[in-house]
Formats: sequence, structure tokens, C-alpha cells
Amino acid sequence: MVIDSAWRGLGPGPRALSGPGGAPLTRTVKLIVLPLIVRPALRPELAADFLDAREAEQLDALIRESGAVLEATAQWFALLKRTRRALGIVAGNPQDLYFQRCFELATEHGAPGSGADAVARAVLEDVVDASGGRTVEALKEHLADAARRARLDAELTAAWDGREAVPGAVDTGPAAEVLDACGAAGADAPAFAAMVRAGHGSLLGRALGAAHPADVWDRADVPPHLGLTAHRVPPRPEVGRSASTATLPAPLDRTLFERLFTVLQASPHRERLPTVPELVRREVGRSCAPLGLYDESLRVTVVLGGRLAVGLDPLGAGTSAAGSTAAHRIVNSRWRREASVLRARRMTVSPRPDPDGGVLNALAQDLRTPWAAYMRRLWVRLHGRDVRDAALPDAASAWGVLDGVARSVMMDHRARVRTALRALSAAAEPAAEPRSA
Amino acid sequence: MPERRDALTRAEDGTVHIAGPSAGPAFTRAVLEVAGAVLTWPVLGPTGLPAAEIHDVGQAQQWLWAVYGERTAAAVDAVAQGTPAAELTPPEQPTALAEAAARLALGHWAARWWPTSHLDGFPALEPDVLGLELAALTHECQQLLDESGELEGAALLEEHLAALDPLIRWRQSAAPPRQLDRVLRLIDDAADNTGLDGEALRRLRSALEQDRTPSATPMDLAELRVPRQEFALAAGSSLRTATGRVIARGSGTNDWCRYPPGFVDAAENAVSWTAYALGAGRRIEVEVVADIAAPVGGVRLVAEVRVEGSPPNRVPLARRDDVWTGRADLDIPASTTPSIEVGVLLPGFDPGPGAEGGAAREAVRALARHRLGVAAAPHDSEGAHPDPFLAEIAAAAVEEDF
Repeated sequence: MVIDSAWRGLGPGPRALSGPGGAPLTRTVKLIVLPLIVRPALRPELAADFLDAREAEQLDALIRESGAVLEATAQWFALLKRTRRALGIVAGNPQDLYFQRCFELATEHGAPGSGADAVARAVLEDVVDASGGRTVEALKEHLADAARRARLDAELTAAWDGREAVPGAVDTGPAAEVLDACGAAGADAPAFAAMVRAGHGSLLGRALGAAHPADVWDRADVPPHLGLTAHRVPPRPEVGRSASTATLPAPLDRTLFERLFTVLQASPHRERLPTVPELVRREVGRSCAPLGLYDESLRVTVVLGGRLAVGLDPLGAGTSAAGSTAAHRIVNSRWRREASVLRARRMTVSPRPDPDGGVLNALAQDLRTPWAAYMRRLWVRLHGRDVRDAALPDAASAWGVLDGVARSVMMDHRARVRTALRALSAAAEPAAEPRSA
Repeated sequence: MPERRDALTRAEDGTVHIAGPSAGPAFTRAVLEVAGAVLTWPVLGPTGLPAAEIHDVGQAQQWLWAVYGERTAAAVDAVAQGTPAAELTPPEQPTALAEAAARLALGHWAARWWPTSHLDGFPALEPDVLGLELAALTHECQQLLDESGELEGAALLEEHLAALDPLIRWRQSAAPPRQLDRVLRLIDDAADNTGLDGEALRRLRSALEQDRTPSATPMDLAELRVPRQEFALAAGSSLRTATGRVIARGSGTNDWCRYPPGFVDAAENAVSWTAYALGAGRRIEVEVVADIAAPVGGVRLVAEVRVEGSPPNRVPLARRDDVWTGRADLDIPASTTPSIEVGVLLPGFDPGPGAEGGAAREAVRALARHRLGVAAAPHDSEGAHPDPFLAEIAAAAVEEDF
């Protein structure tokens, strides 16, 4: 609110960074004002939601002092957007892509002057080109070589045969303790670190890789692998040379190509990934590692996710014993809100199976086995982190991922309901082409 | 005076609730998902501040003060921290953001529950025209939304671009509605912000850059409507196929919640049935007046028939021109006049029968009638009402041609 009024005090200068009502755009606050002007790391007293009068004055002064640079940032942003249109670039959200760069340009050059057009072009080309050859196309080319594929295939066999034997029974019980500490601000769960130290994730991975262990999740009616494979035990990964988002198999059944395809498709910052040959080389070992992941904290997060997933209750059928932690309450209450929003938006699916229901019935069936969609999405996200060496240091960051996946699964459901309903009454529109390679 | 007791409470799952006017059945609620919360307005009640269920108080602080005022924002924070409950002290005047949010929520409601009916004379709201206005309103509410809300706005814009050229022409015509210019500027700004581009959007930009030279010709608002096949209303006349003796007939229940928009005429008497005696046998025929949507082949509504409170029988309905029809043999004792209840639903969609909603449906029709009345004469009511939606103005104009 202080930001809002200080911003309005700047007048029309930074208009390109403002919303229709004159308030700063949400992204202006998130990407420019907070990280680059307020900088709460240096001024923790300004990070709170509510400021006292002195702090409010300090914040107000900071923003007013930045008026000139913000105005120049806005001018650079307008210039970049114009140049972008002229170059015919449409991919990505311009605010996400250029806000920080514009602030840097404004700090360095002030307002755009002579020669600014060339600078703008250079910045745009730089942003577009940032993938540094880490593309699906490059992956395809790399794996087109028959000799290389044969070598990778032999390496996969060796790595697969060299897997460690199963040391003992799986216990996912401690996961409940971690999940119960989730969501509360500042709550720490030492049990997470203990699970990582004890290798609980590897244990689960090896057990699933070797057999079809009973009763992993304290629920007799779910498979131990929770849909991570379509087989009783996952097969040795193949090399592969094509993929399509519409027909990707279960995570642990995916080829090397399919696993990396997903990473290259989804990554916003591909320049930070290893190069394609390096990606492939490491994926050989990773795909044969427990749960298809190297990092133990990520494997433990699979255990947490599994435990969370078996207690998901999107239909509000009542809480099963598996769904009794704080994390479950948060996620299931979100599903309840979602259900009421969907009712109010006339986008329901029948709560009971309906054989006449066609595609809507298939969606309703998916809500009865919510763990499958959850684990699929979770694995992809954890795999993406593993590829970037982004371990999860503590329970709070693991919860961030678990919660984010829960939201994505819900948004997926909604998108599928919307598509299904639209398909019922519209003459088949040309659907968005499924991405494939 | 608004009610003030314990309007702010914290639920067991940690969500903070701001109480609002109580809402009725699902089809009388306008909802909006915003950053960290869900807001609900009753469509039938007086306009005002919404009820809120806040699940992420930190995120919601980005807009709470701008909708509910500073004191409520602080009270929400206190309740989240453990204060048992608090009173609500709303701002004297609704803020611009609160008004825009209410309008956006109502527009989403209208897109799903507008009681389009040939029988009652409620013309449909053109989805592309309404969709573009919603995209504009979404952008206007950007301060409220999180990323998924923003994406929804961009998706609305892309999906309904077909209405853009007609709206540009409307703006250049003799008497465009007062909010049209603003809607188009918001669309331009939203497209610019999210990086959308295309020929229609470029035409919009150059139209907005030129000074508007109003043309002398008014717009033919029929241009805003996508042509659809018109059927002569044939329900209840030629479709009788059984030849037996009529033993009973009646109206069924038209519960809007049980099928998607566009499938069934929203009138209360759109569902009707006739029971026949054919020798010793009994047969029921169900007729349901269809709405504008043309369902793709294979999609079938069903009638749910209960005789004397028995478990429901499903009778599949087939679409023929403007009517869904179906029939089934019934097992009824020949001597009695049976009590029969008939409903209509789409399998797989139907959330189950709801509470009796006839009064609420009638109230929604009254609301729609009132809104169309305002939309038919927008300039007479300067200031007295919030602007009708562009799609309502177009619908009201076409209605006059009936």
C-alpha cells in the first residue's frame, strides 16, 4: 500500500510499468520494486507486510528517489516491446523477460538516447538466443547417430545390471511426521534431514525397482509405485529418439530422449543447463538410479509426495487414515474450494462413476486415483531439479514443491474439464497441436 | 448498517474467512479466484463487498487493503496470527478495484448462467463479445490476480478474438456504448503486456491511435452475433409418436446445475412429459426444448424419470432440431394415475439433484429481464446503474427485432 501511494506520487513517468488503474503492475512490484529498489535482504525491516510510520516513510523515500531510473526503465520497456513487435517475436511474457534487463539498462544508460534501438535489438537477440543450443532439435540430432545410440544402450545395460541389491523393508512412516509439520510458517522438520541421511528415498527406489512390495503406503488399494510405472517393476530405460507430450508413458518407463525432452521443453532458463552431450551422459546413470533421480533429498521428496498423494481427497469423500497430516488438510481444503468454484462456474463432473458419461466420466475416474497424476507431475518437477543440481535443502523447500505440484494437478483437472465441456458442444475446433519431436 | 459481528474468523485448516451476504444455490453465486483467496458475491443480493475465503494471507495482502480497506487488511493479519475473530470495518465507499472485481465476477457468472431462453424471450449473450469484455476486466483487476488468473485473462483474449473487429467497427459507429473505448484500450494494453500479437490486434492499435471520427451510421448490432441455425419452435406439436391414450402429462424440473450451458432452454417449462396407455402397457415421452449449443454427435442428455418416488429410470434423449426427445416403457399399475417426476441431465456432468431452486431461478430471470431493460436504453440511465455488459447491449438490441 505504501508502494502503491509512492508509485502514484511518481506521476505518469513510469506509466509503462503501471496497471490500468495507475497502480504498479504486479510484476513491477515483484521483479523491480522489491528485488531491485527495496532490496529486503539489505533492509529486512522493510520486508514485513505491515510497516510502522518510520519504515513506511523510508520505503516511500526509496521509491521516490528511484523515480528517474523507474521512468527510464519504463521507456526502455516500451522500446523493447516495440522492437520485439517489429522483429515478430511473440514467445514469452515480455514483463518476465525484460523487466530486470530494462532496469539494468536504465541504471547504466539512463533514458534511451541515440543508439538505443541497436541496444534494444541486441538485448532481444540475447534473450531469444539464451538457450545456447540446448534444444530438443539438438538432442534429436545428438541421438540420431546409430553408433552413439548403440554405445548408450550398452552403458544403460551396464548401469542397470550394476544396481545395488535391496537392503531391507521400506518404511514411509516418518514421511507423515514431516508432512504434519508442513505449511506452518517457520516450522522446521528435523525428520526430513533424518530421512535424507538414512536414505529413505533410495530405499523406496530400490524396493520398487526389484519387486512389487506390499503395503508401502498403508493402503491396500494403491499400487506400491503409485503409477510411476505401468509395469509391476520398471523396465530398463531405452535410449529413444522421439517423444510427444500427448503420449508420454509413465515417468519410470520413459526413454532417455523422453526424459530430456521434458526438461528441454519446460525450462525457462536453458542456458543454465548442462550442454546436450553432458545432459545425455548424466541421464544414463540417473535413469538407472533409484527413482530415476541422483539426489537423495529429491528421492526423499518422492516418499513425502507418495505419502501425501495417497491421502488426497479431491471428491471430498471424507478423510482416509492416510490423509490426516497438516499437509493433507491444506491440500484437501484447496480441493474443496476448487469444487465449489467449479460448481459456481458450471464446470462439474459427476461425483459417482457414470457409465454414460464418456470423456467426463474418464475425468471423474482420474479424481478417484488422484495419486497417479500427482506422482507423475511431482516426478517431472523433481527430475528437472535433479538435472540442474537443485537439491531441496529442508522440509520447507520440499513442501514448496509438494504444494506447487498439488496446485498444478488441480489446474490440470480444471483445464481438462474445460476442454471436455467445450468439445461437447463445439464443432471440433482445430485443437492446439500437441507438442512433439 | 452492515452486520458487524465476528465477520472475520479463522477456520481449522488455517483459512481466514471474511463473512459476506449469504449466497444461495450455485447458480446465484459470482466467484472470483484471486491471489491467495476466493471471493464470492451473491448475484441476487445488493452489490457490495464479497465474502472471502483466504488461504494465503501473505499473498492476499497484495490486494486486501485495496478492496476491504486498510483496517480490514490488518485485522485479517491479526486473525491469521491467532486473534480469535474480528469485526469488519469496510470502507465507506467501495473502491474502484472492488467495483471492477465485482463486475468481473458477475461477467463470469453471466457467461455460465445467463438464462438464455426462446420460450421466455431471453436472447443469448454473444460469447465472444462477453469474453473480450471479461479479458479487459481481468486486466483491469491485475492487482488482484496471481499468475493463473492472469493466464486466464490472456486465454480469454485469445479465445474470443473473433469479436475484436466488430467491436472496433462499433466504436467507429454513430453511438458506441460509453465503456467500449475503455474496453478496447484495456484489451490493447493487456495484449501489449502479455506479448500477444496478431492482425486483429494490430488493426485495434491503429484504430486507437487515430482520432475517432464518429461515423454517422449506427452499427447494426446483428453484426456482433454469430449466425446460428434458427428452428421453428416445434415442441409439443408434431413430435408425438405414440398413438395411445394420454393418461397424464406435466412439466419436469429444469435444474440448470445438471447440464452445461447451452444445452437446454432455461425456461421453467422447457421440460415436459406425457404418459400414454398402449393396451395394457404404459409409456412416457419426454420433450426438452433445446438451447443454442449444437452438441456434437453422440452427446446425449438423459431424462431422469421417477414414478411414485421409485429409483430413477434413465431415458436417453436425442436432439432433433430444437427439441430433445426420448421415450420409455413404464411399469405402472394400470388403475392408478401415477405421480411422475422428470428431470434432465448430462451424464458425467450431473453433480446430482439439488434442492428445489425454482424461486431462485425465477429471481435470476427477473435479474436478467431488468438488466436487459437497462441495456436497451443505456443512455437514459446515466449514472443510475453500472454499465451493462456490451454483450447485453447487443442482446437487448437484437431482442427488439424479435
